[in-house]
Amino acid sequence: MTQFAAYTIIGLSLGGIFALAALGIVLIYRVTGVLNFAHGAMGMFSTFVAWQVFYGMPHTGMAPWMVTAEAIAAGLVFAVLLGLVLELAVFRWVRNRPQITKAVITIGVLLALQSAASLIWKNNQYHLPIYLAPQTATFKIADVPIGANYIVIVVVALGLAFGLAAFLRGTAFGRAMRAVSDDPTAASLWGVRVDMVGAVSWMLGSLIAAVAGILITPFINFDTTSLTLLIVDSLAAALIGGLVSLPMTVLGGFLLGLLETYPTMWIQSLGLPRLIALLVILAVLIIRSPRGLPAVAR
Amino acid sequence: MTMLRIRNLGVRFGGVVALQDVSLDLNRGEILGLIGPNGAGKTTLFNCISGVIAPNEGTIHFEGRSLRFAPPHERARRGIARTFQNLQLWGSMTVLENLELPIDAIARRNTLSDALGLPFSQYAERAASERARGILHALDLGRHAHRLAADLPAGIQRRVELGRALAMRPKLLLLDEPAAGLDASETEHLAKLLHRVRERFRVSMLLVDHDMSLVMRVCDYIYVLDFGRVLSRGEPSAVRNDQKVIAAYLGEATPETAGEGAEAVVVTAEPRVQRADAVEVARSTGPLLEVKGMAAGYGHLEVIRDINLTVQAGEVVACIGANGAGKTTTLRAISGVIRPRAGRVTFGGADITGSRPEHISRMGLAHVPEGRGLFPRLSVEDTLRLATDSAGTPDRLAAAFEVFPRLKQRRRQAVGTLSGGEQQMVAMARALLTQPRLLMIDEMSQGLAPTIVRQLFQMIDVFREQGTAVLLVEQFVESALAVADRAYIFEHGSIAHEAPAEELRRDRGLISGSYLGSAPDSTEAIEVAANGNGHHRVVDPQLMEILSMRVPAEVKRALEERAEREGRSAGALALELLEEVNHN
Amino acid sequence: MMPGHIVRFAIAIVAFSILARLPVGLDPAFQFDAALAIVWGFGILSLVLLTGYAGQVSLCQATFAGVAAYGAGMTVAGMHGGYLLGIVIGVLAATVLGVIVGLPALRLHGITLAIVTLGIALVFDKYVFQDHIFDWFTGGTGGWQVTQASLLGIPVDSSTHLLNAYDVMLALFCVVAVLMVNLHQSGAGRRFRAIRDSELAASTMGVNLTRYKLLAFAISAGIAGLGGSFYPLIAGSVSPQPFWVFTSLQLAAIGVLMGVRYVPAAALGGLFMAVVPDVLTRYGHGTFMNRFNYDISYDWFQLAVGVLLVLQLILLPDGVWGDIRARASRAWDVVRMKPREEMRPA
Repeated sequence: MTQFAAYTIIGLSLGGIFALAALGIVLIYRVTGVLNFAHGAMGMFSTFVAWQVFYGMPHTGMAPWMVTAEAIAAGLVFAVLLGLVLELAVFRWVRNRPQITKAVITIGVLLALQSAASLIWKNNQYHLPIYLAPQTATFKIADVPIGANYIVIVVVALGLAFGLAAFLRGTAFGRAMRAVSDDPTAASLWGVRVDMVGAVSWMLGSLIAAVAGILITPFINFDTTSLTLLIVDSLAAALIGGLVSLPMTVLGGFLLGLLETYPTMWIQSLGLPRLIALLVILAVLIIRSPRGLPAVAR
Repeated sequence: MTMLRIRNLGVRFGGVVALQDVSLDLNRGEILGLIGPNGAGKTTLFNCISGVIAPNEGTIHFEGRSLRFAPPHERARRGIARTFQNLQLWGSMTVLENLELPIDAIARRNTLSDALGLPFSQYAERAASERARGILHALDLGRHAHRLAADLPAGIQRRVELGRALAMRPKLLLLDEPAAGLDASETEHLAKLLHRVRERFRVSMLLVDHDMSLVMRVCDYIYVLDFGRVLSRGEPSAVRNDQKVIAAYLGEATPETAGEGAEAVVVTAEPRVQRADAVEVARSTGPLLEVKGMAAGYGHLEVIRDINLTVQAGEVVACIGANGAGKTTTLRAISGVIRPRAGRVTFGGADITGSRPEHISRMGLAHVPEGRGLFPRLSVEDTLRLATDSAGTPDRLAAAFEVFPRLKQRRRQAVGTLSGGEQQMVAMARALLTQPRLLMIDEMSQGLAPTIVRQLFQMIDVFREQGTAVLLVEQFVESALAVADRAYIFEHGSIAHEAPAEELRRDRGLISGSYLGSAPDSTEAIEVAANGNGHHRVVDPQLMEILSMRVPAEVKRALEERAEREGRSAGALALELLEEVNHN
Repeated sequence: MMPGHIVRFAIAIVAFSILARLPVGLDPAFQFDAALAIVWGFGILSLVLLTGYAGQVSLCQATFAGVAAYGAGMTVAGMHGGYLLGIVIGVLAATVLGVIVGLPALRLHGITLAIVTLGIALVFDKYVFQDHIFDWFTGGTGGWQVTQASLLGIPVDSSTHLLNAYDVMLALFCVVAVLMVNLHQSGAGRRFRAIRDSELAASTMGVNLTRYKLLAFAISAGIAGLGGSFYPLIAGSVSPQPFWVFTSLQLAAIGVLMGVRYVPAAALGGLFMAVVPDVLTRYGHGTFMNRFNYDISYDWFQLAVGVLLVLQLILLPDGVWGDIRARASRAWDVVRMKPREEMRPA
């Protein structure tokens, strides 16, 4: 039983990361019509930037938490810039192309980012994660010691999800984003600057992807390719939300995290979680909508 | 012999009823017409017959066999072919290839044999090619055989689609708006072509179109759909004179439609300002909106050409005309949704041709598009706040809610869940809040019951008072003319006529002619109100035959100018002239 | 025979004779590259059929090749069959997988199909090709080792007779290329292209969507498998690495870059994928202007592919070959002095 609880927490924190990544994907998709296959790659790159600042630069005389904060800040700033650059240099020019073309462009971005990262950081497997909480700290839940980091991850994931929701619901810009995601033509008729909204959604999406990437570092021996490939799991979570509903996407992420973690109680297999993700994708797509993705007014 | 028998067909999409209890019979060798206002369910019916949608209830029998469970390609095999409203040609293939495909799709072909180029395949290729060429020749498309389908102009593409459908040697041909995007002369050719096709290929047809002149000329029998139900049926002349049909198109409340969804819409409006005064004042400052020589379209289709119109500040101008005449495209070209291909648009003195919609909107030109341009998942309150976000006016939400108390009740509800009337209120509220200089509204009354429509039209006066000019596109002619100062009549992508609203209200013949098409074989004596004084004259039917053909725009203008000089109405003048012709 | 067929065959024969000569005299590493180029050439060829002709997006073509490679390896090394049998089993396995992948494709379009195929590529890469449950198929951690093979009496083993293998593969490639172009111009080809351009019109004009979509997937997987089944032969062993997700992504990227509708694009693409990186890594290091050290690795190649793909999709939607072809036809029209209306658009 205690083992079950432990796996549940781990599953939930993994799920929290999927939820975050999926949120970014859905946000970008709904506002710009681009299904961003490079989302994992973008998060990966920003995470490596953070990692570089954390481990690769001297931090004389700084308290550990300051180092962490600095690293994370660097990663996040980079993420925002990356999102902006992609929007200005690439996606602004293909606004009216069919969705599949835009998606293939993101594959090009994926390849470019992954190889650029590989050039800079080589193909090594890194064992050094960034911890948000002291590594040895634990909480006790029902008498079971659980790594504080896992709890922190869940909290951060939920916090960001709620924060995003609040932003979308309560602010003028959030309204504008929701309008564009419902109908960009109508939104422009209402005076909404669609280009700017698109740029912000890329920046925001990239930011969330970076957070997800940084949070996942305790879980895996991260290298340039495996982070990039988390796109498949993120897509699975996004699809559970139907690429429309943000709350369902978050739930989907947590659900997927649990589904991928529980089997590891009995079966030791690196590849099995990928199979689970694929099965979830297939199940959702085939059961839910006979005609594929929800129509995004383009 | 009944070739196609449809009984009690019903189709629902979510909560929306697209078709209800539709029954239809098509006999062998017939050309059957299907008409009705926008949203009446015509394309849905086609989709059911060709197998793209499965109906919720009802049956379709083709040549005695039920079509249920037959997938689209099976129906093609049985002899049902169709063309598409928005042209579904295979653009990367040549015209010849487009026609060859249906010919050999029916036959069984082996992929491996094709790849290897075996004799059987080559023989089948040659046979298909020959037959395709034959059809191309019959349709006068031979020159284009090797051109890519995507590279051709729209009129030719339509013929290619027709040829493709014929290549299948169908027994029944479904034609979905074959005249869309064609001008008057091209439509004329199409009508002749369809008759020739029936003779030569011996195929029965089911035709849907908005172009009444085409439908009335070509069809043997007509069904009229409205709100998903069969409203009327009969021979063309009977249908054209059917009061119910006229009402459905021109928007008068009839016993059938008045009872529907009569919600009590409480709209509190402030007292009216005298209409004449406002117009006087506005006219002195130069046109607010000026459109010169504008042309626009989508892809290969040129939908509007040589559009000239103006709107003065404080005026209410209506654009009326049959569906497909180009009214909506005109508004979209003005507000920036599509780029004009030619011409100039000036607003308040500034050139806005080809500017971005958000820029134009912020200049004070608001466009409420067809379908209202709302955001289904935003709440009412959020939507109104969105309006004030970009218009920069102080928060006047409370005032808007006073005018539309019903919206206040539903402020937290998602707009997509509101009724049609309430959604229109939201769109109007936006205009109240942002106080644009010019408000363009496209089909405000679409899908709404006449009682609500009347009340919404009262809102137009409110806008006029707050200093907003209004450019209105409407199917409901009555109400539009009641509230407008001037009107433009659109036909086939250009403006055929412009007149003060008063004159058009008197001369109804002009408008119903424009909507319901000419009467080549009308033999009844018809009473005509010849001048504004109410003198009636009974006119010789032969004379009416000449009169009721559509008069070209230039001739109309000439008539109007002369009428103005002589101080009479154009209608009376025309009658006089034609009588002289007849007697000479 | 119709003139079209004759011309194609002639071109194929000429191409074969030229290309067969190319790797003669080069060192074994380059010869391996040449043979590998054909493996990936088959991969892109399969994409031309599936995506270029039939309009179905697929991000798992390398997976089909991998399945065939393992199938062939299993037959030859695990079950000690002849290599010919290995090729047959490999292609068969790939084809079956193709049909299975095609089933969801019946209901999904465009992006959703891309997502599913990506998922499949990932699952096979990380799970099927690597997990010990599948050792019977993959030959365990080291994979199958293949040596001393012969094909219909011709010795083709990788260590000493690589050129023979290359010739066989090249011949097959030319044959399949010709068949594909024949297909493109034929009735079946038209049906595929109709599905790509407008499924709605295709189905209402008599094309059985189910049959043709599954057929497209099956044939495409078979073609990719044909290339893959030769891999153990030329490399001496099979491992998951050559068939991982990134290879599938690169095949798609290079296919689109070269022009996924055109068969010659496949040949170009294959060459590009196999030869260019190796040339770059081999000769791409040294000193520039006696001051800057540079060292071009495979990553540079992939970076270039990614960037080029993005640029190309923005600027030249029909791919490099498509653009060349369009310019060539227009130039030809000018030479023949066609009247303006009849010229193809630039």
